[in-house]
Amino acid sequence: MNNVVCTCMKISLLIHNAYGIGGTITTTYNLAGALAERHEVEIVSVLRHRESPALTPDPRIRLRPLVDLRQEKEHPLHLRPAKVFPLYEYRHGQYSELTDQRIGEFLAATDADVVVGTRPGLNVHIALQAPARTVRVGQEHLTLDNHPPRLRRVLRRVYPRLDALTTVTHADAAAYRRKMRLPGVRVEALPNSVPDPSLPPSDGTAPVVVAAGRLVPVKRYDLLIEAFAAVVAERPDWQLRVYGKGEEHDRLRRLIEELGLYDNVFLMGAATPMEAEWAKGSIAAATSNFEPFGMTIVEAMRSGLPVVSTDCPHGPAEIIEDGADGRLVPVGDREALSAALLDLVRDDETRRRMGRTALKNSARYAPGPVVAQAEELFGALASAKAAGRPAAARTTGIDRALVTGGYAARDAAYSAASTILKTVRKARR
Amino acid sequence: MSPDRDASVRDGNPREEGPLAERPRPRADCTVDGENRLTIRLTAPATPTAQAPASRPQLLLRLRPPKGQPEQVRRVFDLEPAPGQDRWQATIEPSPAFTEGRWDAYVLPAPGEPRRRLLPGVRDLRALVTGRAPDRTSSPLAVRIPYATLDGYFAVRAWLRPRHAEADRIHVADGAMTVRGRLFGAELDTGAAALLRRRGTGGTVREVELTARGDHVFSFTAGYRDLLSTPGAGPGVWDVFVRPSADAPRIRLARLLDDLADRKKVFVYPATALDGLNVRPYYTVDNDLSVEITAA
Repeated sequence: MNNVVCTCMKISLLIHNAYGIGGTITTTYNLAGALAERHEVEIVSVLRHRESPALTPDPRIRLRPLVDLRQEKEHPLHLRPAKVFPLYEYRHGQYSELTDQRIGEFLAATDADVVVGTRPGLNVHIALQAPARTVRVGQEHLTLDNHPPRLRRVLRRVYPRLDALTTVTHADAAAYRRKMRLPGVRVEALPNSVPDPSLPPSDGTAPVVVAAGRLVPVKRYDLLIEAFAAVVAERPDWQLRVYGKGEEHDRLRRLIEELGLYDNVFLMGAATPMEAEWAKGSIAAATSNFEPFGMTIVEAMRSGLPVVSTDCPHGPAEIIEDGADGRLVPVGDREALSAALLDLVRDDETRRRMGRTALKNSARYAPGPVVAQAEELFGALASAKAAGRPAAARTTGIDRALVTGGYAARDAAYSAASTILKTVRKARR
Repeated sequence: MSPDRDASVRDGNPREEGPLAERPRPRADCTVDGENRLTIRLTAPATPTAQAPASRPQLLLRLRPPKGQPEQVRRVFDLEPAPGQDRWQATIEPSPAFTEGRWDAYVLPAPGEPRRRLLPGVRDLRALVTGRAPDRTSSPLAVRIPYATLDGYFAVRAWLRPRHAEADRIHVADGAMTVRGRLFGAELDTGAAALLRRRGTGGTVREVELTARGDHVFSFTAGYRDLLSTPGAGPGVWDVFVRPSADAPRIRLARLLDDLADRKKVFVYPATALDGLNVRPYYTVDNDLSVEITAA
């Protein structure tokens, strides 16, 4: 399909581990697969722990691992802590001098037009080590406000070297613009995309509420189960199905027993793909205290389900239109959650209408529009770079001077890295 | 920044991998409709696409034999071309019914070629979720639920019971379980009872009073102390049955009428501590209802 040569870019996406399962992996595969229609795309996986990826990427994508844990777990360099990958990044413990070295070599040698990082530590590598001619894009799948202060300090110093930073919500993009000085860096919300469902949408008739996610405390499935007790008290024919596995499983099981909900609330285990499971329900529930995006909310809506969700930072409020295609309730508010669920349980017509609206409204998260946005962004950045212009649209003269610094030679990048490391080490003492 | 490298590190440098072009395995998506028809849609690459029906690929379902025994029961279905590349489909009508058990699925690409086992795709089972109520006069009761095996293949579980007692809600309280249910292929009459039979040779049977609501709907309360007071009883398993009338043969109580092929880990009931033992109703690997007594 590479018929228009001039617009074909070589794009590399750098990811922690492309062989596992998770929201970032799924969305990166979705983006890469769609970009591969018109561009040369590779996914570079810092780590590899198994022969084949758990999720199957588009066959046009080239997948390249940097460190193979099956052979290199005990590599002497892998036993020494990472120095370029920031210390206060969540996954620092899984990085090492070996990953520093391999990522550095990959970036030094890359002939990609665009290199995209998918987590803060990898964005730091790209900001510091990608060649000057390469468009450097950092993606944030978490949120600035939730980053530890010491990580924020590192990012504040390094992210100005990026050409663009994408967040998954507008709220997070606004936080980066407001709280970080990123002159010349284009900061843009680029939501995760969810593939077009292959099944017909739910008809909204089954008395089933569906939730899906890892069973971890932040998801607040305890709150959902407690809230669902009020639904069962009024409508014992309704059931709640919670898909996923995790450390909370046994605690949630005990809660179900204590509340006597064992014939109405079911811990279903993990299901991949979730598509057929959403279609069995007629309402979806999301009860997190914190949700940087909310892939499952979009998945449920794309299957025609209205979603009752907590209004937690930042995803739900940008995905759900309260009262039109779902309901937003205050974080941690069990009564409000029960009431919102019951409103939809009681009123078949409203539930089905909101389900149809959810289906329509969630089309903006189809790979088509999301990928078109990414493509436009990468294309604009590439032509700006080729013309020696800064990436950000509005740039003052002062900003321009700083931006020029952002394109500095690699040597300078390394010295910047060591400065950051000194800062980090000082902070550690 | 030029860290020392030794030869082994260099050898361990990124290995280039080509596109993931490993030979794709055939995959099965499926739908069960409101009439209990099962439509299986295959994506079967490298399958001949000859238009002559005689040389089209076929779908093979085989009843999984007990370990170490030969395969004996097979059903073969013609595949029709479906829209899309490498797509084929077959619709399996509710009858003739499948023998009870687990049926593994394969595609027979062409005469003389080895069969290829199918990977699980998307299973649209929404028509099964709400516990459809089959015609009570239809006998036997036949249930088919497509599922993914533990080792990651597409398969179909089948139950075939001339008479069936379907468990509904189970309430656990005060050292007893109260079970509601429905009968299929049999009617409640004088002498109806629930039976709990201790598993093992010469298993003791305890009889429990059963309340009928009409000809088919019933409930009963089984006290755990009654099981514990049985001479010689301790840790063990009691299987639960319904006897529709005084002289009728007993019917195994099970929960089969929804979309769950494996219920054991999903429908989990509370354990009750009694006399230093734990008593708990549970669904077996075949979705039958039993009561388990274990040391606390």
